[in-house]
Amino acid sequence: MLQVLIQGLLLSGLYALIAVGFTLIFSVGRVLNLAYGAYLLIGGYAYFYFAQTLGMPKFAGVLMAGIFGCVLGLLKFQLIVKPLKGNHVAIEISTLILAVFLQSTVIFVFGDSSKILLPIIPGVERVAGAAIPFSNLFAAIASWIILLSLWWFVRSTHMGRAMQAVSMDAKGAAISGVDANRVNMFTWGLSGALGAIAGVFFASYTQLYPGMWVAPLIIAVAVVIVGGIGSIIGTLIVAHIVGFLEILTSAYIAPELRGVFTMLLIIVILVWRPSGLFGREEL
Amino acid sequence: MNLRWHHFALWALFIVGMFALPQFVSNGTLRTMIFANFLAIFAISWDTLSGRTGYISFGHPFLIGIGAYTTAILTHRFDFPVEISIPIAVIATMVGGLIVLLPALRIKGSYFALVTLAMMELVYQLVQVVRPDLTGGTRGMSGLPTLTRGAANGYYMSVSLMLAIALSMWLIMKTRLGTALSAIGMNEEAVSGSGLSVTKLKMTAFLMSAFIAGLGGAVYIHYLGSIAPRALFDINFVFTIIVAALIGGAGTTIGPIAGAFFLTFLLEYLRPWLPGAERYMVYSGLALLIYMYQPKGMWALMTQATFKSKIRP
Amino acid sequence: MSAKLEIRNLVKKFGGLTATNDVSFTIEPGQSVGLIGPNGAGKTTIFSQIMGEHPQTKGEILIDGKEISHLATPQRIHAGVSRTYQVPRPFSEMSVAENIRVGLMPDSIWDMITRGPNREREVEIASAIGLGEDQLERLPSELSMGDLRKLEMARTLATSPRLMLLDEVFAGLTVNEIAVISDLVQSMRDDGMTFLIVSHDLKALEPLVDHAIAINHGEVIAQGQYQDVMGSDIVRASYLGTA
Repeated sequence: MLQVLIQGLLLSGLYALIAVGFTLIFSVGRVLNLAYGAYLLIGGYAYFYFAQTLGMPKFAGVLMAGIFGCVLGLLKFQLIVKPLKGNHVAIEISTLILAVFLQSTVIFVFGDSSKILLPIIPGVERVAGAAIPFSNLFAAIASWIILLSLWWFVRSTHMGRAMQAVSMDAKGAAISGVDANRVNMFTWGLSGALGAIAGVFFASYTQLYPGMWVAPLIIAVAVVIVGGIGSIIGTLIVAHIVGFLEILTSAYIAPELRGVFTMLLIIVILVWRPSGLFGREEL
Repeated sequence: MNLRWHHFALWALFIVGMFALPQFVSNGTLRTMIFANFLAIFAISWDTLSGRTGYISFGHPFLIGIGAYTTAILTHRFDFPVEISIPIAVIATMVGGLIVLLPALRIKGSYFALVTLAMMELVYQLVQVVRPDLTGGTRGMSGLPTLTRGAANGYYMSVSLMLAIALSMWLIMKTRLGTALSAIGMNEEAVSGSGLSVTKLKMTAFLMSAFIAGLGGAVYIHYLGSIAPRALFDINFVFTIIVAALIGGAGTTIGPIAGAFFLTFLLEYLRPWLPGAERYMVYSGLALLIYMYQPKGMWALMTQATFKSKIRP
Repeated sequence: MSAKLEIRNLVKKFGGLTATNDVSFTIEPGQSVGLIGPNGAGKTTIFSQIMGEHPQTKGEILIDGKEISHLATPQRIHAGVSRTYQVPRPFSEMSVAENIRVGLMPDSIWDMITRGPNREREVEIASAIGLGEDQLERLPSELSMGDLRKLEMARTLATSPRLMLLDEVFAGLTVNEIAVISDLVQSMRDDGMTFLIVSHDLKALEPLVDHAIAINHGEVIAQGQYQDVMGSDIVRASYLGTA
């Protein structure tokens, strides 16, 4: 029981971290970024290259992952999202193509086989029969800190309020002097960095391989859809629902079915209540 | 109906050309063309729903999979003859797809795309654990009855199916139904404001799309002789189908066919230089460039270049 | 080919906001009525409730005494009512003829496939609305604003309405174009069409209507003969922005 609780909390924290960058883009840009999973992919591989191949300090590796993600986010906004001018279907399709492009680029550079990512913080603690790798604990705690500071940031800073304004009403925000372009750039960069850092943790939780972008994308989609678009607190709550669903399923039903309820959740919520459980438009 | 004699002349020429091809090319090329034919069928299926009405499906393998698994299970586990199992598979795809996705057709844009994507992932996970004695679990099934032997026969079968589907869809899309479906993609509100039931139209598009997907999927696995969930319910497979339709030209009949052949051969020609999955780098990079430059695809680019006028096939 | 429209106690709420509050009026067959009021008064919301695009929160809508409030938009079209939009949004990649074709289609998939388009009827509607035969194969992007409004009316007319709701038909038009559209409405009135017209251009509206309904803040503030409504103090006040 305690084992399930601990594993659930650890996984949920990771999922919250994965989903939050996706939430930002969906609420500020109103864009379904299907290449979001690719940030995690790029982040994971950037960390692998800098920290393990080049032997840089681990912290620097995480930083490099964040920088790569940030740059990727900015490029994506400038080269794809902005030229398509809010054509949602076109953005979804082109981000999907971009994701496959990045996946095959990773294969080209690093090869098709999976890589083992050394834990960021080595060591395991056993509590009530549950193994708690320090890496996962660190990821969970880090994700809590990041989410709470993001929540504070959106509420209390000038840029945060501008993001809120754009997410509620882009036109209205423009009239009242908010530079939507700058807000968008900032959001895409931030989302990319968050995604890439989440990728480092996700890769050390599972493994590092070129196809690793699909699962986190689906998790992010599930959390955002169920939690309601753009709600940070909703994101945090639903990340725990999804995380615990998976842990409970694999503990008590069958490990192979762990993703099934996540999919069912997406489908049922979308069809039954498209605004999500916690409403929308309140970043 | 807006049909001209030269349309039929072009079709006749196209059909004769496709059937004459085995005389001129090697067996290896023919095998590549068989895959191109099947990809063209799937791309036409996708285009019938998504290219026309603008309801983007990211889960088309879900439909193809219903058809493929139905006939595989019926023939492999219950010894049904292929002539019976394939029609059942097609009906199962239409009925099954409709039950699952009918509620989803109410919701718009991005959400519809997400539901279809989630549907595909759901089926992928379920197929591996629910009744593996029927589905073959993670490993799938092999030793399924095959319809043809040899490259030439396989080619004739696949090309006949592809051409039959393409020609019928071309004729249907030339009628007022085709006009109404494209109208949904442009302005759904104005379609219902013209007194037409949008739900009925979307359902028709969906059923046609499911029919083609189910038929294509069922025949495809009886060409391969095996079925594996990872190859079927794969986001790369979705990507290939969508890109084939888009790069050729969505909302047309010849576009998805041209796109499917272009992509299949591009991948084949890249093989000597890039043997593995990194070939997709060239493929997706090219697709992204074409799509960003001309979202209507190569067909639009070509007609623009040659006729300098608005010819909409 | 005239229809009677009755609106009874129409209420529409968007969340906490009341867009129309207890709106009631009747338009007799063959009448032409102007719906006037300042921006945001609820004119377009009334249109979209009549068409069923945003169903009302409360109230009833009747065409020729038949309740239509529970019907979906296509069924309301079949009941004989049809509208144009403030911003014309034609099917952008279809020719003028094809745009009209969609309006002419029967709501039956079988009919759509088995029977070809009625070319003559398309030409007839186009020319009735003042679009020349040379324009039939043009794309909407090649049309002037005036011709776009005509196309919008042609597609609406193709559904054979007996009551037409026109939303800001004169917006963005030149003086000549206004005269053309005005003549068009005038001749359709002579044929017995019932009209409910929203327009800010009161000078263009005046010759087209005999009655008027003035609304402000989602409520009817005056109705009756056009001159009487325009002359009433409360309407003047709302236009001056003091109400």
